[in-house]
Amino acid sequence: MIGQNGIGILLVVIWALLEGIAQVFLKKSVLGAVHWYLWIFFGVVILLIEKMIYSEALLFLNVGAAYAIGSLNLISVTFMSRCFLREKVTRRRWIGVCLIFIGVGLVAART
Amino acid sequence: MSVRKKFPTRLMAGLLLAILIDTAVQLIWKSAIVSLPNNGSPWLNVQALLRSPLAISVLLLMACQFFNWLIVLSNADLSYAQPVTSLSYVSVFCLSVLYLKEATDLIQIAGIILVLAGVWFISQTEHVTASNEGER
Repeated sequence: MIGQNGIGILLVVIWALLEGIAQVFLKKSVLGAVHWYLWIFFGVVILLIEKMIYSEALLFLNVGAAYAIGSLNLISVTFMSRCFLREKVTRRRWIGVCLIFIGVGLVAART
Repeated sequence: MSVRKKFPTRLMAGLLLAILIDTAVQLIWKSAIVSLPNNGSPWLNVQALLRSPLAISVLLLMACQFFNWLIVLSNADLSYAQPVTSLSYVSVFCLSVLYLKEATDLIQIAGIILVLAGVWFISQTEHVTASNEGER
């Protein structure tokens, strides 16, 4: 049986994945796509859904823990940018993302 | 030889604004959520949120953030802009320590230094991928 913390963690992980998808949609809308308004529309819909999920997660987790796990969104956004937007993600950029991820984890773990 | 592209002023202003708004949203959102009665129903929670002035302020800020973010994305890679806005973690931390008098320790300070180092690493990369630049 999944506990309160487990539900909170699961919700924040889902939030981080949805954040990556929503951001890719928004980026697509400014890249001159033919149906740019559809990319924005679905991007906004996903953003709204993820805000509700994050708010729900805060009822199960403290803010520090949610913040720390939520920084997974950096990894998901970078990974999806590389796969779906064909952005050039250099090793230096990955190092930066990983340092930020660890740094946020350290800050939030003590909150 | 690779020549670094000029960093646009508009992008710098957009990123700064994004960090400022994100900081405000985090601080106000925290207050709004904490003030909610935990009645166990997601729908009742949403209704209570929509009646909260704090939450309405957050929604207005998020709307501003959205339009600013589209401008930022039209000037930079997503994988560049998103991590740079992590500087809001640093500003939220500093404001919490300075104004809310929250306690801090060496682990947290080490975390802040890592975030700053990470943003520095990212700032050393090109802000836009050449192939995507041509599509705009």
